[in-house]
Amino acid sequence: MSTVINEPAVDVVCLGVGYMSGVVATELALQGYKVVGITKGPYWDYVNDFSMTKYDEWGVGLGRKYDSPLPLQSTTIRNNSSQFALPVRRYTMPIQYHALGHGVGGAAQHYGGTMGRQGPWGYQMLTRTTGSPTTPIPNSINPQDDTHDWPLTYAEYEPYYVEWEKAHGLCGTYNGSPTNSSTDSSSQHYPWMSQAYPLPPHPLTPVAKMFQTAAQALGYNPFPHVSSLASQPYTNQYGVTVNPCVYDGYCGGPCDYACETGAKANAAYRTIPAAMKSNNFTLVTNAFIYRLDYNTTNNQVTAARYYDAQGNIHVQPGTVFFNGMWGYNMIRLLLLSGVGAPYQYNSGTGTGTGTVGRGLTNGYLPYKGTNVSGTLNLGGNAYPAGNGSGGSVDIYDLMDDNFDHTGQNFIGGSQIGMGGYPGGGPGNITMAGGVGSGSMGGIFKATQQNKYLPTTTSVGATPFGPDLPTLMNYVDLDPHYTDAYGDPVSRLTYDWTPNTYNGAIYLVNKVKAILQQMGAQNITVGSNVNPGAAHNDWWGHHLRGGLRVGSDPTWAALSGYNQLFLNTTQGVNIFAAGEITNTTGDTVPSGTHVAGPQSYRAAEGMKKYLQNVGTAGVNYLAA
Amino acid sequence: MVSQTRREFLKLGLAAAASAAAASGIEIPLFANQSSNLQNQLDNANTQMANLKTKLNTVTGFISLNINEQSLVEAIVETIIPSDSTGPGAKEAGVIYFIDRALAGDYGQSANMFMDAPHIPPNIPVTAGPLMVNPSLAWAMLPSPRGGGGSTAAIAYAGDSTHGITASPRVGSGINYQYWMNLREFWRFGLIALQAYSNKAYGGNFQTLTAANQLQVLKDLWSNAPKTKYATSDDLTGFTNILPSDFAYELTFMTWSGFLMDPLYGGNQNMVGWDYVGFNGVNFGNFYGEGLNQQALMVATTPTKLKPASLAQYQQAASGGT
Repeated sequence: MSTVINEPAVDVVCLGVGYMSGVVATELALQGYKVVGITKGPYWDYVNDFSMTKYDEWGVGLGRKYDSPLPLQSTTIRNNSSQFALPVRRYTMPIQYHALGHGVGGAAQHYGGTMGRQGPWGYQMLTRTTGSPTTPIPNSINPQDDTHDWPLTYAEYEPYYVEWEKAHGLCGTYNGSPTNSSTDSSSQHYPWMSQAYPLPPHPLTPVAKMFQTAAQALGYNPFPHVSSLASQPYTNQYGVTVNPCVYDGYCGGPCDYACETGAKANAAYRTIPAAMKSNNFTLVTNAFIYRLDYNTTNNQVTAARYYDAQGNIHVQPGTVFFNGMWGYNMIRLLLLSGVGAPYQYNSGTGTGTGTVGRGLTNGYLPYKGTNVSGTLNLGGNAYPAGNGSGGSVDIYDLMDDNFDHTGQNFIGGSQIGMGGYPGGGPGNITMAGGVGSGSMGGIFKATQQNKYLPTTTSVGATPFGPDLPTLMNYVDLDPHYTDAYGDPVSRLTYDWTPNTYNGAIYLVNKVKAILQQMGAQNITVGSNVNPGAAHNDWWGHHLRGGLRVGSDPTWAALSGYNQLFLNTTQGVNIFAAGEITNTTGDTVPSGTHVAGPQSYRAAEGMKKYLQNVGTAGVNYLAA
Repeated sequence: MVSQTRREFLKLGLAAAASAAAASGIEIPLFANQSSNLQNQLDNANTQMANLKTKLNTVTGFISLNINEQSLVEAIVETIIPSDSTGPGAKEAGVIYFIDRALAGDYGQSANMFMDAPHIPPNIPVTAGPLMVNPSLAWAMLPSPRGGGGSTAAIAYAGDSTHGITASPRVGSGINYQYWMNLREFWRFGLIALQAYSNKAYGGNFQTLTAANQLQVLKDLWSNAPKTKYATSDDLTGFTNILPSDFAYELTFMTWSGFLMDPLYGGNQNMVGWDYVGFNGVNFGNFYGEGLNQQALMVATTPTKLKPASLAQYQQAASGGT
């Protein structure tokens, strides 16, 4: 049997050391609390780990050499509760890839860096659609609707956004707000900002400039794409200095490379260095957390258990815990440990009870989306150049309730942008549409000649409406498959909602008008997609919901301070934040950016918890 | 190419053995009064050794593909990316070496794949009737509703007519490959099946077919013709346990990868694949002193072809080498 090693108790135990734990660990360590952060992977160092070996499409793109190994753990997916869920066996590229992070910085070590705030509508989606926080969205738009308002409004989250943006050095200008005033009528629709993003946006591409001009001519308000890849040298509020982007193109896109200068914001290069410097933070790497010890008498988490690289079991006690694991792993750990109320769906009655695993949504459309494309008489360099999230221009006028939805069978809409830097590996460009019978022989080969040196540019978009929570979509433990240590993996029961497709069908024609204004030729609109025919063989790296914040513990797992509810009057000593705690808002803006303020909100709640620990009645912190 | 390489390899092996004595001879120091005849002999020996060493450094063997597989894979990859008037193909890029090494390494071993049992295929229609699957003991022993609450009874999955009992994923998708075998085994079975099908449907080994028929065999795999062309009971096509399109995906995907991935993986030799598609590798505009920079290249409106540089070149330059 494994040796059991008891670790000394600390104030705060962070489970996983990604974006969210980075903020929580740093904020609390700087306040003098003793913090331990535990990650299953290593501490990546961009100079030694990435700068000489990252330009490797085979190793990075398919091998996912910096990512979470699938033999360690995977997940299973199915479209509805009557099906057997198939396990994800392999990383494939492009599109199919799923990039769970591994180590400090987590998945943000290798993302594209796309950011953008969620507007006021996203926080009160239900009330602003039906007029009441308890009236569900109609069945015709979202069957078995489980949409709810956030516990806080946009205005209440705004100060936390500012802190998060300063910490990570975001680049951009006001996203979408024509006046950027918190008091005029546009503030009801656009995410006004009390402070500008700390860094300027990246240089625009020629296509982006054409889009900008066309969008303005059609009455839209274009803004440069918001990015977390530093456009200039920067020092954040914790005194951590950041190198700027070198624009070498091996960045986002289907390969999602790690950054060799640290310009790509993540916990390893923005927050954790400050936590380390405080001497109050201990980092535990290569440690696989498999259980929380839970005292069912007083409903307190007492310790986190993990395996070290030698297979020894460590028991790490703490006063308060923060679950900063990625997506379904955050849910899986709670379910394995018996913490929180597991979600149970009854397909016969179309009802559900419990909260842990409830409300799974997705931040992306499946590959069978309805799209629009055209060609511009403008060439360029399609080989790696630029970065994963700069160069483009977005409009926010066709999302949220920023436009008239009269007569439409969907709510919300889509951010629409164009003109991002080209890049990615040569394999990606060949396989971008998926390898098929057409990808063979001399005729196809000829289409690949000088593909990286285009004299015309293809432009287009695949817009879609927001994916709304429904009782049918959820996360639970898979009954059949287990991880490397023998514990059940997570199971995703998920299919795309009608709102997503209905939005897409409307929005493609809006994009078509922009392409026409840009002077694009050969414009084609893809055929409409029947949601029933689009099976989910793709699993998103932008899963949302599943462990939502809210004010009602009958559907929300977490309170307004991101603390796990025990019931309406009590909480458990564990907090959580991440994309998976986002109650769904609109579509494209980064779920990570929306999760960011929650990490500060959780840190604030945890400070209050620690200040008052032992005092009767303070273990539950209302929003 | 393969048979020729093999012959060359055998020939070189004999030559190397025969010249072992000469190899030690070149280290004999020269004295001032030695005859020119001896000097000539030594010069000749040195030249021969230099030639031999060059050949040994360039000749390439196989670490995974067997003799039969070598000639078959060679013909397949040259069908997928032929060498033609537009430029070099899989042959010049050494795609077969990329595949051979990948099959011997992580790819072939499915080293980064989740291979846990049970192995249940995709595309099971609802008409197949309920699928009964035993739970894992770990799940069965977890309290309900998180787990089975102590019951190890098999769980029934009926599916529905829209979605089936198991999903119908794209070929190549993360949930599509549900085989019990690793990819090296998958290729072994797949190649045997492909050859059997070639013989049955086109009357000869794949290598002997016309170029048009070779391409057609591969297209047949993509359309799963080996499964539909003949009676279900007839397993002479070999594709009893493998869906032909799944194997066609691996062949096509790996061939293009061998053409376009960094040369250090054995394919894309001399960066002919990168040169063909106009890829820059790690030449960011000034690797060969072109004087260009990324920021200008990324917003350019006309393309600039850069001579590609490989990862090895990049590392060599970064460490102060030439």
